[in-house]
Amino acid sequence: MTNDGGKWRPVLILGGLSVVLAVLVYIFFMGGEKENIKRTAEVLVPKAQPPAAEPARRKTVSLFFLSEDDDLLHGEPREIAAGPSDAAEAERTMAELIKGSEKNLISALPSETRVRQVFVTKDGTAYVDFGREIMEKFSYGSSSELAAVYSVVDTLAFNFKSIKKVAILVEGAERETLGGHIDLTRPFLPDFSILAK
Amino acid sequence: MNAGIRNEREHAPASFALAFLLLALPAAALASGQASPGGAGQQPAGANKIRTVVIDPGHGGMETGAKGPAGTLEKNDTLAIALKLKALIEKDMSFRVVLTRDKDIDVSVETRSATANNQKADVFISIHTNSSRQRIAQGSETYFLSTGATPDEETRRLAYLENNSSRIDDHVDKPSEDEIKLILWDMAQTAYIRQSSQLADMIQAELNSLLGTKDRGVKQAPFKVLTGVACPAVLVETAFISNPEEEKKLASDEFQTSVAEAVYRGLENYFRIYP
Repeated sequence: MTNDGGKWRPVLILGGLSVVLAVLVYIFFMGGEKENIKRTAEVLVPKAQPPAAEPARRKTVSLFFLSEDDDLLHGEPREIAAGPSDAAEAERTMAELIKGSEKNLISALPSETRVRQVFVTKDGTAYVDFGREIMEKFSYGSSSELAAVYSVVDTLAFNFKSIKKVAILVEGAERETLGGHIDLTRPFLPDFSILAK
Repeated sequence: MNAGIRNEREHAPASFALAFLLLALPAAALASGQASPGGAGQQPAGANKIRTVVIDPGHGGMETGAKGPAGTLEKNDTLAIALKLKALIEKDMSFRVVLTRDKDIDVSVETRSATANNQKADVFISIHTNSSRQRIAQGSETYFLSTGATPDEETRRLAYLENNSSRIDDHVDKPSEDEIKLILWDMAQTAYIRQSSQLADMIQAELNSLLGTKDRGVKQAPFKVLTGVACPAVLVETAFISNPEEEKKLASDEFQTSVAEAVYRGLENYFRIYP
């Protein structure tokens, strides 16, 4: 019996160890599953890199500003990072528009204005959501309010074929006007007749 | 974030509809049984009919409007001009004059257009002072509404108008046709665009001859205050408060009187065509 027991003991120990090992292996693979996927992704990115040296891709857009010379909006070229979507490019374009002119043109928007988001629907309406600074930092008259609205509308419609109309939101909500004049409750069609040249 | 924007977009028409419902219901109740004055040029009213002119001094209260470089506020200039214009009309013409505000108080844009509709105005005139980011900007201009509507919206409206060529208020009176009322009040001003354009021409001509300011002409823009007004309606940009010289003029009694006189003469000429 003792002999038998002594004979079986290593088998039992081995059996026990192998069960523990099996459990560890199971945990290892289950726990490692997510990590494995990550690794696949990491592998895929370098693979896709040769055609996608894209991060550095730039494109030139036209930003529209006022001038002291006339009542038209004047285009000024500006480089922005390209891709991945029109909405993303439109958002960068709006940020550049707000930064203002690098020449002597006059910005129609308060320089403090934040661009919260740009969203383009399938029917070609761009929704541009600005921070409240766009309403608070200027005391608009009709001319300055029209210029603010159409510098946004024309800049977007001029640069992006997918954008046919533009709606302006403030802090994520529809507003009646920016400063008591121009109706913001409907999307605007661009008015290219007020662009210089 | 995306979802938020999306919801906003889908809810927008609903909030529109609600806004116009709020506008339309009291106005419809008041207008019931009585044809609207000056409507679409048909059925010229009797000679004894007393005309109503609603004058809207822009901004007011917390909402100061534009500010001049010397600190002049648009809301004060517009009120001063409107009060002078009211006095002038009441003195020389047998017209009733209603102001959308006669003191320095906040008045919502809806209330301004609703005042015109509830008072059954024959003419609505909004008085403003202009402001530009351009230091040199100067002069006077008169606006009437451009809806800024997209071509398909415009087509739908015109189609509706053509199919319902009779008077707007006849339809508005039917309480069951909620949907139709909403469409109609939404486009209230659309039915008066031609007369509004004529009124704008006449007022601008007088501004040019009396003020000595630069003639910036008659223009169209989607002004919120004009959209819901169911009578000929214009918005007068008297001069630029952002221009130091014009800011001084605008605050002067003499210039304010000239503006009031010019608008008054424009009105006189308009009512000669539409007695």
